[in-house]
Amino acid sequence: MGIFDSFDISASGMSAERYRMDIISQNMANAHSTRTEDGTPYVRKVVTFQEKTDVKNRKFSHMLDTAFSNLTGRPLGCTNSAELSSPGTGVKVRGVYEDTWTEEVMTYDPEHPDADENGYVHYPNVNVITEMTNMIDASRGYDANQAAFEATKAMASKGLEMNF
Amino acid sequence: MLNSSGVFDYVNVLGTSLDAAATRNDIINNNIANVNTPNYKRKDIRFETELKHAFARSSEDTVDARVKNLDLEALTPEIYTDYAELSFRYDGNNVDINNEEAIQAKNTIKYNGMMDLLNRNFTQLKSVMK
Repeated sequence: MGIFDSFDISASGMSAERYRMDIISQNMANAHSTRTEDGTPYVRKVVTFQEKTDVKNRKFSHMLDTAFSNLTGRPLGCTNSAELSSPGTGVKVRGVYEDTWTEEVMTYDPEHPDADENGYVHYPNVNVITEMTNMIDASRGYDANQAAFEATKAMASKGLEMNF
Repeated sequence: MLNSSGVFDYVNVLGTSLDAAATRNDIINNNIANVNTPNYKRKDIRFETELKHAFARSSEDTVDARVKNLDLEALTPEIYTDYAELSFRYDGNNVDINNEEAIQAKNTIKYNGMMDLLNRNFTQLKSVMK
């Protein structure tokens, strides 16, 4: 690990949280979009994160352990802790998925141009309260990374103070 | 020649400890960056206990002699995944952000203190050599 890799870790955290914030904003902006390009209502989007693994230092046992832990949520325990020689390289966005498990909101409004034959309008499955909660979560995550960044900066400057 | 004289005994130990502190900073940054990653488990480094054990194992009487005979190459600070810290979250992540920030604050203070000690050591050496 070089001295500036620490900054990259915090930077990856900040950009991941910022990306999540972008998607949350997109959800909120489209909370009432009853029509998209293909005619269906907007579907809420969810961002998932994944630990960025140091490809150079990856061992098979570690990869197996990570895959098992991702699948089942518990460790397989085959990684010898001494093999984790790297402190890590940060976080990355795994992907953006459409939220297909939350129901869309149906409102009776026959005068609405996008109402179906029964007079119901299909509003997106965006709950503004949920989005706001996630937004605060993302914002706190961003702040935490920023604080870590500042702490690293203080340490790096202190390291330069060595006088012989 | 200077290395065997024992002048740099403390400097060497401080250097190793500073390395460990810098690595811990990286690890904590990684923990904080992954605060919202599902199933991520926090990592940490085992250094202080290693140093303590190496110190305790020493057969020398004085601290100076123990520091002198410390085999820094044999000190292997290991990075481990912390499964002991229980997860209270649905996503299986066990990073507690306040805990990480507290550890980072401690680590930074430790690093700064050790840096000051290192500088004091050099200042002493310089004043002797004048």
